Amino acid sequence: MPLEQLNAKSFEEIIYDNEEPCLVIFSRKDCHVCKNVVPVLEELQPQYQDRVGFYYVDVEEDKNLFQRFSLKGVPQILFFKGGEYQAKLAGAVDEDKVIDKIAEVLES
Amino acid sequence: MKREALTQKLLVLGVDGMDPKVTRKFLAEGIMPNLQKFIDKGSAREDLSHLGALPTITPACWTTLATGAYPGTHGITCFWRQSPKSLDAVVYNMDSRNCEAEQLWNVTTEAGLKTLVWHWPGSAWPPTSDNPNLHVVDGTQPGSVNMGVAQLDWEKIIAANEEITELIYAPKLERPAGTGCMISDLSAITEEEEEPATDMMELWYGEAAMTGSEIREYIMGPENMEMVIESIPHYDVVNSPLKNAEGWAAAPADAKEFTILTSDGIVRRPTLILKNSDGIYDRIAIYKNKKAEKPIVVLELGKMVSGIVDDINKEGVLKPACRSMKLLELSTDGTAVKLWISNALDIAQDKLWHPKELLKDVVENVGPVQPVSLVGGEDAYLVEKVYEPAWDSYSQWQAKALNHLIKTRDYQVVFTHLHNVDCAGHMFWHLAKNLERWSYTDPEVNQNFIRKFYIQTDKYLGEFLHLLDEGWTIMILADHGLLVGEEFPPQIGEYGGMNVQVMEELGYTVMKKGENGKTLKEVDWEKTTAVQTRSNYIYINLKGRDAHGIVDPADKYELERKIMSDLYSYRYKGQRVIGLAMRNKDAVVLGTNGPQCGDIFFTVDEGFSRLHGDGLSTVEGAFDTSVAPIFLAAGNGIKENFKTVRTIRQVDIAPTIATLVGVRMPAHCEGAPIYQILTEEF
Repeated sequence: MPLEQLNAKSFEEIIYDNEEPCLVIFSRKDCHVCKNVVPVLEELQPQYQDRVGFYYVDVEEDKNLFQRFSLKGVPQILFFKGGEYQAKLAGAVDEDKVIDKIAEVLES
Repeated sequence: MKREALTQKLLVLGVDGMDPKVTRKFLAEGIMPNLQKFIDKGSAREDLSHLGALPTITPACWTTLATGAYPGTHGITCFWRQSPKSLDAVVYNMDSRNCEAEQLWNVTTEAGLKTLVWHWPGSAWPPTSDNPNLHVVDGTQPGSVNMGVAQLDWEKIIAANEEITELIYAPKLERPAGTGCMISDLSAITEEEEEPATDMMELWYGEAAMTGSEIREYIMGPENMEMVIESIPHYDVVNSPLKNAEGWAAAPADAKEFTILTSDGIVRRPTLILKNSDGIYDRIAIYKNKKAEKPIVVLELGKMVSGIVDDINKEGVLKPACRSMKLLELSTDGTAVKLWISNALDIAQDKLWHPKELLKDVVENVGPVQPVSLVGGEDAYLVEKVYEPAWDSYSQWQAKALNHLIKTRDYQVVFTHLHNVDCAGHMFWHLAKNLERWSYTDPEVNQNFIRKFYIQTDKYLGEFLHLLDEGWTIMILADHGLLVGEEFPPQIGEYGGMNVQVMEELGYTVMKKGENGKTLKEVDWEKTTAVQTRSNYIYINLKGRDAHGIVDPADKYELERKIMSDLYSYRYKGQRVIGLAMRNKDAVVLGTNGPQCGDIFFTVDEGFSRLHGDGLSTVEGAFDTSVAPIFLAAGNGIKENFKTVRTIRQVDIAPTIATLVGVRMPAHCEGAPIYQILTEEF
């Protein structure tokens, strides 16, 4: 299932106002690493339905969000809970790393 | 040996960069009344000066003040020392373990005197003795207490108005105020993951530096010079939409809202804009989130608020941190707002407090360590509204903290240092004369900022006047003064790295060239016979000693003669630039000989000095400024309302303190007590 795309406005509402546990991948269309990581998240998404939100931000469409989080490259997966940034995974990551990080964030 | 003390309690009030010449100008203007009281009650030279050690560099001079030894003897000859591995690199030096002379506080504590050493930027940290009488706070960098280890977030300007449609965060923008802090062209870098950019603070005083890693900085041209770098303000900018408040638990009718971002952009703090009873918007209230009942802080227009504690999110971990904030602008109809928030200091960071419980005591009884501001430079708006008031607030916090500790801890000897004047000097003293490079700035405005920093210092000193009535002896002194430069100088004598330009022109340093002929930041060691590093040192690239040495030791003497001759002949705008140049062995006459002083020690001549650190300690500049440091003393054991004609050398201060408190001289002391100002004859 494709990830729901966030823009600057929906990012504020979902991440900060709703305060739901979630992850957001910052990616770029022509980034080859992103092309490998996004499907990993798409496959994982159903396992976490109603528990963790899965979203993505296209950094070329929303440069401000990319800059705001002082990200130096893509892909980057940012984890949030209770309206607070929790952790980040950068670069090429596999399914196990994402699962471990989600567990860590949910337990914290 | 046993010596009778002339006083039971002695306080050193160190003010980094305090210049007696410009001080006299301000005393004559009547704007330093507290200092005048100290002078009237004590002793000094008529000109209030003492003869500073060479080089006129902070850690070198504070170490001389602490040991009574010249820099050549104690071995702390700059912020950095030469890397043992490479001539073009330096390593961290604000480490007491590098000091080869005994510190006076080791003597006082050994004699049973309870001693506090507070942010003394020369051979104070790590603590130099395990004697329980010794208490030490920081000293690992010159700026302010905990600046090097507790910073969690950088300074920000937040601008909000109804035209902004999207929340934007831009880290460390250069000169953003010139456009009213509005971001119009944010070009995001969307490369794949790369190395993070280097932070100068981290590079110079961070963990890696403190554990001995090499720092390699080349002064290739004017853009690498500190006076150019420091005059350009950098800070984070947040642009926020501004609208009617919606979805709040506690927002009054008519309130408006905008958003502040902290923690490098990852934490959001919703903020209300509020009306007063006359219907005018005059304050803002910052909340943790919209559900919160009470704000973190309420800011009124134009008033700086300090000691604000809020959580900073650092890599997902929340840490309480202290900030100052100021609402800079707010339109009466609430449609436009601008505010400054300081950097954030971790309130629990106690690794540079010995014993650690000192921090808890200060935080609980005075308040958390306050941050200062490091944005100002050529931006007069920021210097006036933010930079100067932030330092004033910090100075007052420090005075309160010291008075609290003095009152409750029975200290008998207290060494202190404040960096307000020096920090300001590096930012904008050179703008107090109209140099061509900064023709768009106003010298008179900047002269008045110098005045403000001395008024601030006078206020700080005034907080300790009452101690004279409580049996304390007080010394007011500096490491060096600060001059207003007469000229934009060539690149030699810059303390922040390896100076390339002049040595390259003279043919001694050769840099590698790229394929396009562009000079690279890499030394061609096969062609380089000598380099100039740090403030005043030239090293021969010597075979058998240096990693890439090409000069035969048999040729060293003649090469030194040639370099010195070329330095004296060097002309910039038709003028000689070098004041003195001498071999290491001869530099003993200046106290700058020995293994940490290069093969040749040189000074930049009067007229080409930047601020301090490159010339003699007697050089003078524009606006009645000089590099001489101030000295005066008052209280028990010191003659009242007395002037001496004695030349007071920096090495004389430590033995004078030793005499006053009745302890032996520090082991490597090379000075003599200032007998003339003491009440007892010796």
